[in-house]
Amino acid sequence: MTVNWAQVLFNSTITGSLYLIGAVGLTLTYGLSRFPNFAHAEFITLGAYIGYSVAEQAGLGFPLALVVSFLVTGIVGILCYRGIFQPLAKRGATIIHLMVASIALGFILRYSIGATWTWKPLYFTTTWSAFNIGPLRITGLWVWLILTAIALAILMHFILVKTKIGKAIRATSSNPELALASGINVDRVILITWFIGAGLAAFAGIFRGADTQIWPLTGWDIILPIFAVTILGGIGNFYGAIVAAFIIGLAENVGVVGLIALGLSTSYRIGIAFLILIITLIVRPEGLAMLFRRA
Amino acid sequence: MDPLLYVLDLIVFIGIFGIVALSLNLEFGFAGLANFGKVAFFLIGAYTYALLSQIGVPFYLCLVAGGLVSAIFGLLVSLPALRLRADYLAIAVLAFGEILRLIVKSEEFAGGDWGITVSPAISLVGASHRVDALVNIGLVYFCLLICFIVVQLLANSPYGRAMRAIREDEVAAEALGKSEVKYKAQALMLGSAMAGVAGGLYAQYLQYVLPGMFMPMVTFTVWIMVLLGGPANNWGVLLGAALVQIFNRGTNILKDYFILPINPTDLQYILFGALIILVLLYRPQGLLKESRIKTKAMEGVRRARNAVKNKGSQ
Amino acid sequence: MQETLLKIREVSKHFGGVYAVSGVSLNIKGGGIWGLVGPNGSGKTTLFNTILGLHRPDEGDIYFNGKCINRLAPHQIYGLGLVNAFQIPRLFSRLSVLDNMLLAARGHQGDTLLNSLFLRKGWQEQEVELAGKAMEILETLELVHLALSPAGELSGGQRKLLEVGRGVMSSPTLLLLDEPAAGINPNLGKKIFQGIEDLSQEGLSFFIIEHRLEILFDFAHWVYVMDKGKIVVEGKPEEVLEDPAFFEVYLGV
Repeated sequence: MTVNWAQVLFNSTITGSLYLIGAVGLTLTYGLSRFPNFAHAEFITLGAYIGYSVAEQAGLGFPLALVVSFLVTGIVGILCYRGIFQPLAKRGATIIHLMVASIALGFILRYSIGATWTWKPLYFTTTWSAFNIGPLRITGLWVWLILTAIALAILMHFILVKTKIGKAIRATSSNPELALASGINVDRVILITWFIGAGLAAFAGIFRGADTQIWPLTGWDIILPIFAVTILGGIGNFYGAIVAAFIIGLAENVGVVGLIALGLSTSYRIGIAFLILIITLIVRPEGLAMLFRRA
Repeated sequence: MDPLLYVLDLIVFIGIFGIVALSLNLEFGFAGLANFGKVAFFLIGAYTYALLSQIGVPFYLCLVAGGLVSAIFGLLVSLPALRLRADYLAIAVLAFGEILRLIVKSEEFAGGDWGITVSPAISLVGASHRVDALVNIGLVYFCLLICFIVVQLLANSPYGRAMRAIREDEVAAEALGKSEVKYKAQALMLGSAMAGVAGGLYAQYLQYVLPGMFMPMVTFTVWIMVLLGGPANNWGVLLGAALVQIFNRGTNILKDYFILPINPTDLQYILFGALIILVLLYRPQGLLKESRIKTKAMEGVRRARNAVKNKGSQ
Repeated sequence: MQETLLKIREVSKHFGGVYAVSGVSLNIKGGGIWGLVGPNGSGKTTLFNTILGLHRPDEGDIYFNGKCINRLAPHQIYGLGLVNAFQIPRLFSRLSVLDNMLLAARGHQGDTLLNSLFLRKGWQEQEVELAGKAMEILETLELVHLALSPAGELSGGQRKLLEVGRGVMSSPTLLLLDEPAAGINPNLGKKIFQGIEDLSQEGLSFFIIEHRLEILFDFAHWVYVMDKGKIVVEGKPEEVLEDPAFFEVYLGV
């Protein structure tokens, strides 16, 4: 069997980029609100559908689809936090209750989406030019995806390090009481994080949808690998997430080569991320966070 | 469809999911474990039953084996997982369930996407569907009764008291000599055994197993039963199981009589989601509140009170 | 006096380079009330937590009844009869006051999976007895009318009393109490200590951290004074009171 390793590496970058965009929001809200929001999956799905409506049904094109779906999903994120999670936390809900509530919210969103757009898969009709560079097969979409991930990494780094809100996010994530005592409006910081987090989930949904298909489980299909990135990177740790996303992307794509070589079904591909997730949780639940003290 | 058969079918489903709800209640309601991978143990029981019955093992042994294999997996999972924080445990067992589903979906021995056909546990020659359903009710409710007795005995014992203490505050419980790992591992083992038996019952009743029957959705449906009915109340979670199943059928029947603007399955899960959020917000203890621990300790209390009274009257 | 119950030899515990306890040695013999005092941050609670197995000592050894307990888990140490009452009560708030008491009983036969299912007759009698004992203790703590209420409904002072009651319920050999009289009115504090004295005359030993020196010194027969992680003075209360080192610790002179 000859393996096109350059393509494997390139594909890993694509997978990693998608997971990174999906995981940033999850890791930030997990770090700040201190529970894993399983409805993040449905933020991804919702973003994909809104993007589809803007780009395909309204015919307004891909870039505008990204913007509109970021804003709408971001606002949905804020509403969900304000309407469900904040009141629950105020009533002293345990972390288990918050997790269950996030799954219940996921039900509401997922099946509302199913009721609105039906469960038939939808496809973006935008055609992406495909071209070859050396041994690499590349499409325009993948270039966009990778560029978005890189831009996101640079932008988030800038926001976290240079801006007031970024510093507030980091401070609140590492010690909420201290942040509150030092005059940071923790409530506002959390709301902004939920907005950005849900908005970025929408990006992940559009890219995933454009690359494969859109259906009400679009987000759920990739939520566990995204959890793997979040946990491996260290909860709330943006820099860790970048490294973890690439590691998981690499593991999945190299893993597929391995699966074929071993004569196993390639449907195990997604299980590789599950396995990394479980092993990280058991062996090193703090993830790679020790490597990245800063955030 | 025959309306009586429909009701009998509903009763069977309530029984099977009643067992799973009781098992989650043991793990979550009493021991405080966030088992987000309940369906994994249901799957193990169902596939164990299916695979064994294929090679001609009698049904009762298939059921017992399903429970045992599932219990062993429960114990194996608990060893590394129990030291984990609640959220880590939840994510880890959820991923475990998905891996199992991936395996039965991908491997030929488990039938892959097409699953395995299972023969019914008890098939009477020439029996009607109604009689078949009645036989199933007998079998399922026999198992349910055993499970119910077990969890009730545990709930009303010093053992169950210790379990609840660990749920409330594991550090304090540990300081009072209750080993967190022991109670949680045993809860997960016993809960998995019960879920495994329920899985076997499910497989033989539907007469097939498919990977699609074991989506994470099943886990959360059972969570709804427990949270709605009342965690740490065994009667409550049975009530929850019945309500969820009836509600489930209700939305499906509705579509035969009304023209709904929305697919009934979609509507059902939207309502489930909203319901559970409302329960968590406004009635986190569920419909029936946590049951008291009933042991003979009350006799000691009564004696002590009488002694005080007698002293007073002398 | 009887043989040594708790022997601590050169125990140190540090957190990230800061010594909370440094080279502490002490001997607690059976019977009596042993006090441990010292300013905030002197390492008293850390010492207690190290004895109880909540922290592992970085150096030194701890013996209970001649057995080294350095590496035992908290629940194993509890099983040996070395029991603790938390400074801030950690009650099981959704369980009744009585259940909180019964949970503290050591060696309950109904506490295992199989016994709870199959040997119910075996432990039901024990439940009756233990409940009777619990009611007696609750009586002395004036909590008996609340026996069946959830512990979460108790007031701050009552929680404190229940925490102590739980410790007594376990029939320990040595009971560690972390500030039993803190945060409750002085009369109640005295009452608790009178209860402790009664129990100590029945053979139970106490090792008590207490900030209310005026109460502790009335009851304790031996007092250790800790400062900056070390034992600086020890002796009978009246001796300690006259020791200049004691005043140095408390008044900084």
